[in-house]
Amino acid sequence: MLFMNDVSKVYRTDLIETHALRKFSLEVKEGEFVAVTGPSGSGKTTFLNIAGLLETFDTGTYRLDGEDVSRLSDDSRSRIRNRKIGFIFQSFNLIPDLDVFDNVDVPLRYRGMSAPERKRRIMDALELVGLASRVKHVPAQLSGGQQQRVAIARALAGSPRILLADEPTGNLDSLMARQVVDLLEDINRRGTTIVMVTHDPELARRAHRNVHVMDGQITDLQPFAARSLVRSEAIAI
Amino acid sequence: MHLRPILSAMLRNKTGAILVGLQIAITLAVVANAVFIIVERAQRIARPSGIDSENLFFVQSYGYGPNYDQLATVHHDLDLIRSLPGVVAASVTTGVPLSNSGAAQNYSASLDPDVEDFMVNTYFVDEQGVAAFGVKLSAGRPFTEAEVQYSGEQTSEFVPSVIITKAFGKRLFGDEPALGRTIYDALGQPATIVGVIDHMLGAWIDSDETIGDVVFLPRISWGPDVRYVVRTEPGRRDDLMMEVERKLSEADLTRAISWVRPHSYYTERSYRAHTRMIALLSVIAILMVAITALGIVGLASFHVNLRRKQIGTRRAVGARRVDILRYFMLENWLLTTGGAALGTILAFAFGQWLSTAYSLPRLEPQYVVIGVVVLWIIGQVAVYVPARRAAAIPPAIATRTV
Amino acid sequence: MFSYHLRLALKSLRRNPVIGGLMIGAIALGVGLCVTTLTVFRLMSANPIAPRNDVLYAVTLDSWGGDRPRYEDRPELPPPELTYRDAMALLESDIPTRQVAMHKSGFVLDPVHTDGAKPFLVEARMTTNDFFAMFDVPFLYGGAWNDATDAEAQMVVVLSKATNDKVFGGVNSVGRTIELGSRFGIREFTVIGVLDEWLPTPKFYDLNNGAFDRPEDVFAPLSLTPALLLGTHGNVNCWKDEPIDSFEDFAESECVWMQYWVELSTPEQVEAYRAFIDNYAREQKRLGRFERPLNNHLRKPDEWLDVNAVVQDDNRVLVGLSFMFLAVCLLNMIGLLLAKFLGAAPIVGLRRALGASRSAIFQQHLVEVGVIGLAGGAIGIGVAALGLLGVRRLYNNYDALTHLDLTMGFVALSIAVCSGILAGLYPTWRICRTAPAAQLKTQ
Repeated sequence: MLFMNDVSKVYRTDLIETHALRKFSLEVKEGEFVAVTGPSGSGKTTFLNIAGLLETFDTGTYRLDGEDVSRLSDDSRSRIRNRKIGFIFQSFNLIPDLDVFDNVDVPLRYRGMSAPERKRRIMDALELVGLASRVKHVPAQLSGGQQQRVAIARALAGSPRILLADEPTGNLDSLMARQVVDLLEDINRRGTTIVMVTHDPELARRAHRNVHVMDGQITDLQPFAARSLVRSEAIAI
Repeated sequence: MHLRPILSAMLRNKTGAILVGLQIAITLAVVANAVFIIVERAQRIARPSGIDSENLFFVQSYGYGPNYDQLATVHHDLDLIRSLPGVVAASVTTGVPLSNSGAAQNYSASLDPDVEDFMVNTYFVDEQGVAAFGVKLSAGRPFTEAEVQYSGEQTSEFVPSVIITKAFGKRLFGDEPALGRTIYDALGQPATIVGVIDHMLGAWIDSDETIGDVVFLPRISWGPDVRYVVRTEPGRRDDLMMEVERKLSEADLTRAISWVRPHSYYTERSYRAHTRMIALLSVIAILMVAITALGIVGLASFHVNLRRKQIGTRRAVGARRVDILRYFMLENWLLTTGGAALGTILAFAFGQWLSTAYSLPRLEPQYVVIGVVVLWIIGQVAVYVPARRAAAIPPAIATRTV
Repeated sequence: MFSYHLRLALKSLRRNPVIGGLMIGAIALGVGLCVTTLTVFRLMSANPIAPRNDVLYAVTLDSWGGDRPRYEDRPELPPPELTYRDAMALLESDIPTRQVAMHKSGFVLDPVHTDGAKPFLVEARMTTNDFFAMFDVPFLYGGAWNDATDAEAQMVVVLSKATNDKVFGGVNSVGRTIELGSRFGIREFTVIGVLDEWLPTPKFYDLNNGAFDRPEDVFAPLSLTPALLLGTHGNVNCWKDEPIDSFEDFAESECVWMQYWVELSTPEQVEAYRAFIDNYAREQKRLGRFERPLNNHLRKPDEWLDVNAVVQDDNRVLVGLSFMFLAVCLLNMIGLLLAKFLGAAPIVGLRRALGASRSAIFQQHLVEVGVIGLAGGAIGIGVAALGLLGVRRLYNNYDALTHLDLTMGFVALSIAVCSGILAGLYPTWRICRTAPAAQLKTQ
């Protein structure tokens, strides 16, 4: 599904060069739920931005859903983001003056779907996240957890091949966070590949696989069971 | 407070600063020139006319038919008008001062062809002409009844005596007194100056050089039209206009009363182009300043909103409200000053262009100076509201994440 | 997609009503002011005889003498009018298809058939009969007189519609008579035609005697001028010191007071006529007249209007100033739009992340800018209508000058939308460059 090989990215200003990613390689299989962890400034977000075609990279190759997306035009990248990728952000990034329905509608609008088709997809997605009754609410009238579920509905409405989540529970209290994670697991079970950046160990535990990033490189591939063990120890202490 | 951080912040947001600066520059250029033109026109309208304008009205009678007798009609009409209570004086006249229409003749101080002759605005009046216009004689006397000529169609014959304005006397004789001197018409016929009018404006409002040059001739025109100037006691003009029109129309004479009009009818008509220009320029100038001020308010508000967090942080690290206020006021002052510097150049360039292309007078520098001061004040007032809002931002905002 | 962008634009304007109102108001004021001054300018500089512009020519001869040109500030111009004797001499030519010599005069009209009505003064145009055909003058009843009438100086008259309304209550008065009086006495004139509404603005055929006055009340044959010893009601300008004590003196004098126009249909005619007037001028020089260098002109109506500076400089200055005002309004709008668009950059970044292409973002903002321009233009038309209402008070005798027609409404909208979009291009271009990843992390 997602295949990166030796991807490098350098940010340059007049004064400094920052190597955000160095020969970063990662493969995510179809249907996988992968958590990317690592400290601040390790390159997690850069990885996610490149994976989501929000940013370009300097060297290396990146294939998404079998297609080489390394050197695509801005328009083609927009189209792939629109059709194949769903995004979930830490701060939800809902548009404040659009209601729930219109927020979920945003990516579908850029896809040129017919109105009935859009409506069906929006209502299905909202049904899935349990907010079908709130279509006319604006984000300010919803709790944080509800807002994040709207954002998830927005990410799902276009039936993406892969869901990219950036600290999806970072702005939520633990109860709401758990609901959101339950939802993500449910979505993953229905067949959508998920790549999630987080530094919340509980969240990472729920993934099939954890990838640890440090200084722009993957340092550690830990199987599910091992992470689980680590967590038990942490609780024991 | 240092200017450097403000300047560098402005440099980082070059576009915004340039846009406001340009607005201020154009506003200064337009407003300075507009106000200059307004003042110049207003002064022209307000200059003293020398005649008793607000108590004057004019009448035109137009004779026709085989039995029409110009002289008899004039005597009948003037006897009637002068007999009305409230009428101070009445005279025939060939024209209306400041009406932009009138007669002009060439006169010279000498028969010598090398001595320059001057085109001057003339009025045929009778013995009450001076009193009827309400002009002051600084020397000499009004015409006598005996001096007033009526020669039918033989209008090329000159009159024995004339009254001229002091301004025209100066043009003819320099600083020598004009009273008693002789002037010559274009055919070389002489006339003696028997009176000097202290000040009176002639017919054409925009001939600045020669508008004060006027000559009265004691004569009744050939007709068939004749005009009268009537001077009333204060407050009686409008009543008397109606009474005169009615009484003259009732007279059993073969003529039509074409109109009876107050002098203000003519001054308003003549100055209309100027009052119009004043009104339209005022509207443009006021709107321009208002739009620029609103633009300053709008942009400053936006920048305050964008910089909320930054302002909160400044407050958190110890900036007082007044420091924040001062920051925005100073930023605006710098912008206005920059815009005004460019605007000064624009204003003079624009003024130069107006004076060459449209023969308007040249822009005087004090208008630009006043314009800069006004823009400084308006800028400061305009930015005060958003700046105060900025100063009211609580320091706690710095620690909030969203 | 367009309807979606339209909805977003309206939402966005509602979100910042003050800024939106400021932008729309600025455009409306700028456009309103420009359209107001443009309307006045356009009507003042209109060519009311445009359809015949290519065949009509105003004739001027430099008959001036002495050591000064007619206009000291514009020495290249001959006097705008002809002497009576020159006009009569030009009428002898058979080169023009049509030609007209004329002047302004006046009579007292004695309404003897209406009880109790007082005699009143009417403005008259004494003219040769080609006047009506040359200047496309519309008739309501009857028509123009013919060459024989001109030659025989018959007492006929064409009435303006207003005069016919006043004297005959608007009925067909052809064949009826009116009493016109002046110095010569009172004569009976037969009505031969009545004009329909005719208001050439400016009054191109006689710009020297009130360029924005209405046409005269009655029209009668020029040959009556010498027959009845009529005077002129227009301006008279003379350069020569000569005694003028009778009509004959006046007719033979060097005073100019006659307007002269010719219709020349072919270039050959134009050349031949030019040669004719130049030869005439040379001949007069031999007779001791026309003291200045040869300076005769045939000017088409548009050129004639231009040369006579019908549009006052003040009007040009006002048009210039109002466009500078519009420029300030647009700068204002660019600043506000830029601030507004960049303020919404995080949302644009989000839309980009969710798959909006650059062109979709461009379209979205262009629609918003277009809505502002359209709204500004629509309100601007209202502002212009108000402005013209105000201007009408200032120009109270020029009603024709101050109505807003369809063309100016269209001009207003075009200026508004074009300037709105022009002002919007830079902010739109800036916002399109928002990177999709920008500002997603923090809000």
